[in-house]
Amino acid sequence: MGVTSWYAWASTLLQVAAVAVGGPLLMGLMAKVKARSEGRVGAPVVQPLRDLRKLLGKERLHARHSSVVLALAPMVILASTAMAVAISPLVSTRPLLSTSGDILVIVYLLLTGSAAAALGGLDVATAFGGMGASRAMTIGALAEPALLVAVIAMSIQSRTSNLGGIVSATLAHPDWVLGPSRLLALGALVIVVIAETGRIPVDNPATHLELTMIHEAMVLEYAGPELAVTSLGEAMRLGLLFSLVANLIVPWGIATRPTALALVAGVVFLGLKAAAVALGVALIEVRSAKLRLFRLPELLAGGFVLSVLAVVTGLVAR
Amino acid sequence: MSSTYVGTLELAAGAVLLSSVMTLWRRGVGSLVSMLRLQGLALAVVAIDLGAHERDRALLVTGGLVLIVKGLVVPALLRRVARRDPGSRESNPRVNVPSSLVFAAALTVLSYVVGTRIAALAPGVATDLAPLGLATVLVGYFMLVTRRRAVSKIVGLLLVDNGIALMTFLLTSGVPLIVELGSTLDVLLVVVVLQFLMVSMGRHSRTERLTEMKALHD
Amino acid sequence: MAVLAILCVSVASTLVAASPWRPWTARVGVVASALILGLGVQLSVATTSAPQWALHHSLRADPLSSFMVVVIGAVSLLATAFTSRTMAQEMATGVTTARYARHYVVLMQVFITCMLVAVLTANLGVLWVSIEATTIATTFLVSHRRTDGAFEASWKYVILCSVGIALAFLGTVLVYYAQLHARGPSHPASLDWTAVMSVAHHLDPNVTRVAFALLVVGYGTKVGLVPMHSWLPDAHSQAPAPVSALMSGVLLSVAFYGLLRFRAVAVAALGPGFPRALLIVVGIVSILLATVMLIGQRDLKRMLAYSSIEHMGLLAIGAAVGSPLAIAAVLLHVLGHGITKAVLFLAVGEVSHVEGTTEISRITALLSRQPALGGIVGFGLLSLVALPPFSLFASELAMARAEVDAGLWWAVAITLGCLGIIFAALVRHARQTLMGARGDAPARALAPAPSPALTALLVGALGVCVALGLSSWPLQSLLLHAAHAVVP
Repeated sequence: MGVTSWYAWASTLLQVAAVAVGGPLLMGLMAKVKARSEGRVGAPVVQPLRDLRKLLGKERLHARHSSVVLALAPMVILASTAMAVAISPLVSTRPLLSTSGDILVIVYLLLTGSAAAALGGLDVATAFGGMGASRAMTIGALAEPALLVAVIAMSIQSRTSNLGGIVSATLAHPDWVLGPSRLLALGALVIVVIAETGRIPVDNPATHLELTMIHEAMVLEYAGPELAVTSLGEAMRLGLLFSLVANLIVPWGIATRPTALALVAGVVFLGLKAAAVALGVALIEVRSAKLRLFRLPELLAGGFVLSVLAVVTGLVAR
Repeated sequence: MSSTYVGTLELAAGAVLLSSVMTLWRRGVGSLVSMLRLQGLALAVVAIDLGAHERDRALLVTGGLVLIVKGLVVPALLRRVARRDPGSRESNPRVNVPSSLVFAAALTVLSYVVGTRIAALAPGVATDLAPLGLATVLVGYFMLVTRRRAVSKIVGLLLVDNGIALMTFLLTSGVPLIVELGSTLDVLLVVVVLQFLMVSMGRHSRTERLTEMKALHD
Repeated sequence: MAVLAILCVSVASTLVAASPWRPWTARVGVVASALILGLGVQLSVATTSAPQWALHHSLRADPLSSFMVVVIGAVSLLATAFTSRTMAQEMATGVTTARYARHYVVLMQVFITCMLVAVLTANLGVLWVSIEATTIATTFLVSHRRTDGAFEASWKYVILCSVGIALAFLGTVLVYYAQLHARGPSHPASLDWTAVMSVAHHLDPNVTRVAFALLVVGYGTKVGLVPMHSWLPDAHSQAPAPVSALMSGVLLSVAFYGLLRFRAVAVAALGPGFPRALLIVVGIVSILLATVMLIGQRDLKRMLAYSSIEHMGLLAIGAAVGSPLAIAAVLLHVLGHGITKAVLFLAVGEVSHVEGTTEISRITALLSRQPALGGIVGFGLLSLVALPPFSLFASELAMARAEVDAGLWWAVAITLGCLGIIFAALVRHARQTLMGARGDAPARALAPAPSPALTALLVGALGVCVALGLSSWPLQSLLLHAAHAVVP
C-alpha cells in the first residue's frame, strides 16, 4: 500500500508537471511545424512558455462592469483541466484516484472548463465575447456526442470505461489496435480533439479576424496574469487530449510497474508520442483550409457517425 | 483459425461500411468514385480472405471477379462519366449532409438489430459481421432516395449491390457460382445501361440533373 | 423435351432477328411466339402427370411453369404481330432507323427468352438472374423512341427496378443461407426449387421472415406493387405499344410468379400468417393508390398502366389467401389480364398513331370515326373492369369467394369499393374518348387503320377472354394442377 501510494502520488505530480510544461511546448512545436512548412523560420518552440512568463509579470486589469465571473473563470479552467490531467493514465496506468479515472469524469471535467471559458467570455458583455462563447458552445455540443460514443466503442471492447483499464487492456491485446472498431473510434476522436482544441479546420488559433475566430474571441477581454492562466489551461487541455489519443493509439511505453525508472521512461515516451500526435495535427492544419462555420456540423456529424460505426463494428466483431 | 484471417476480415468489412458512409459525407463526384473503388477493393479482400481460409476455389474466382469488376472497371466507367462533367457536386441533396450522417448512424444501429437476428442462426466470425453488409445496403438506399444527381444515384445503387455482395460472402461464403457470376455481370450491365442513358440524356437535354426531369408526371 | 424445344425456339429466333433489319425479320418473332404457345400448351398437358426436367435438372417444368409459358406465348404472339407495323410506321415518321429497328427486334426476342428462362429454370437463383436480365433488355426497349420523355422513363425504370431486384437478390441469398443451416435431414446446399422445398419446413423463421419481406418488396417492384411502383406508369406510357403490351401483360406476372414460388417457401417455414399479412397490405395499398390515380387520369396509356397496378394488387390479395382455389383464380386472372391488357395497349398504340396523341381530352368520337379500333378499345375496357362475360369477371369472383372463405371479408369490401370507383372512372374516360360529337374531332386520320388481319387478331384475343369467362373448363384442371405446384 505504501509503495502504491508513493507511486500514485509520483505519477500524478509528474503528469501534471509534464503536461503543464509540455502543453505549451506542443503548441510551440505545432506553430514551428506550420511556419517551416510555409517557408518561414517561425518562433522558437519555447515561445509559448516565454509568453506565459511575460504575461504573469504584468498587472491585473479588469474591464469595467465585469463581475467576479471574469476573475474566477481562468482559475476554474486551469483547475478543472489540471484535475483531469491528474487522474488520466498518461505517464502511468495507475495515477492517484485512478479508480475514478473514468472517461466520463474526464469528459465532464473538461466540459466544466469549457463552460467556465464561455461564461468568462459572456461576462464583459462585448459582442466578440458573446459571439465566441456561442460558437464555442455550439461546437462543444456537437462534438460531445461523438466523443461519448467513441468512448463507449472503446469501453465495449475492453469492458470498462476506466481509461487506465482501457489502456491496460490494449497493452494486453495488441491486435485491438488495428481492429476496425478502434480505428473508427480513433478517427472520431481525432475529429473531436481537433474541434475541442480549436485547430484548423474548425478554428484558427492564429487568427484575430472577427468573422472567423472562435476561441480567441472568447478570451479577448483577458490580460496579464489571467490571460496567462487561461492560456495555460488551454495548453494543458491540448496536452491532455493529445496525450490521451497517443496512449489509446500506441499504449506502449506507459509505466505499468511502480519503479522510478518506469516513471521516467513513461514521461519520455509520453513526450515523444504526444509530439508525434502534434506533428500529425499540424500536418492536417497545413493541408486543410478552415471550414466555414456552417460546414462544421458536417465534420462533427461525420465524427459522430464514425463513432457509431465503431460501436456497431465493435459489437459484431469479436 | 488464424488471427490474420479474422483481423483482415474485420478490417475489410469495416472498410466497406466506412466507405459507404463516406459517400454520404463527400460531395465531389471524384471522391464518390474513389470511395466506391475503395469499397470494391475491400469487398474483393473479404471474398479472397474467406476463400483462402475455407479453401474454396469458387469463392477465390468470385473474389478475383469482384476485384476486376467492382474495384477497377466500374469505378473507371464512372470516372469517365464524371470527367464529362468536371467539378460537379451534389450541391443540394434532399437531406443535408449532417442529417444524412445522423440518419446513417441510425440505419447502422437498425441493421445491427436486424442483422444480429439473422446472424444468430449460425454464429461465426464471418456471419457475425453480416450486419455491416446490411448497413451498407441501407446507406445505399438512403443515398438513392436523398441525392439528386445522376452519378450519386448510380453510386447509391452500387452501394446497395456491394452491401448485398458483402452479406452474401459473409453469410453463405458465396451463393452458387452461376448466380454470383450472374449478379456481378448484371452490375456491370446496369452500369453500362445507366451510362448510356446519362450520355443520351446529356445529349438531348444538355443536363444530367434529375431535378429537372419533369416531363413525366400525373 | 418440350422444355428444351421452347428455349431453343426462343434462342434461335433471337439469333435470326440479329441479322440486319429486313421487313421479314419483324415476322420471326410471330412464328417463334406461335411455336412457343403451341409447345406451352403441349407442355401443360404433359406436366399434369409429373414435372419434366431438362439439361441435367437445371430446367424444370411443372404445371405452374407450363401455364406461365402459355401466358408468355399468347401475349408475345399479340405483341410481336404488331412489330412490323410499328416499325414501318416509326420509320415512315422518322422516329426510328433500320439500325434501331434491328435493336428493337433483337431486344424483344431477348426479353421473351429471359422470361421463358425465368419460368422454366429449376433454380431460384437463376430465376433472379433472368428477371434482372429482363430489366436490362426492357430498359433499351423503353428508351427506343429516344425522346427526352423516353430516356427519363427508362432512367427511372432501370434505377428503381435494379434497386428492387437487388432486394430480391438479398432475399434469395437469405433463403439460401437459411437452407444451408436448416435443421433436420442432411441435404445438398443449393437454390434448386425442389431442394429448397424439401427442407422448407426446417428453415429458420427469423431469417425467412426477413427474406420474404425483402422478396415481396423486391419482386414487388417488378410486379408494380407499392411502395416501388412509380416506374410503371412512366415506362408503360413511353415505351412502344407492343413493348408496353408485353411488359404489362406478362413481365409483371412473371415477377409475380417469383413471388408465388417464394410464398410457398415462406408459408412452409413460417405458417400462413406472416406472408398473408404482408401480401394483403401490399395488395390493398396498391389498389387504393391505383384508384386514386385513375380518377383524374388524363392519358390513356398511363390509365392502362395504373390499371395494371390495380390488377397486380388483386393478384397479391388472391395470393395472400393462398388456398388452391384462390391460386387457381389468380392464375386465370393472370391469363385474362395479360390478354386484355395486351389488346388494349396495342389498340391504344394504334389510336396514338391515328390520332397523334393519347391524351384523353383530345380524343373524341373514336367509335364513329374508327369503328373497329374504337370497338376494340371499348370492349377491352369492358373486359378490364371485369364485366361478365369476360374472364376477368370469373377470376375476380372466384378470388372474392376464396377471400370470404378465408375470413377476409373486410379485404373484399375494400377491394369491391375500389373496383366500383375504378369502374366509374374508366367508364367516364371511355365515354370521353369513344363517344361525343364528331364535329369536334380532327377531320383526317394521321395514319391508316390497322390491317384487317391485325384487327381480327385483337378481336379474336378478346373472344378468347369471353370464351374463358363463359367456361373455363378446358383450363380448370390445368389451373388446379398449377395451383398445387405452390400450395401443398
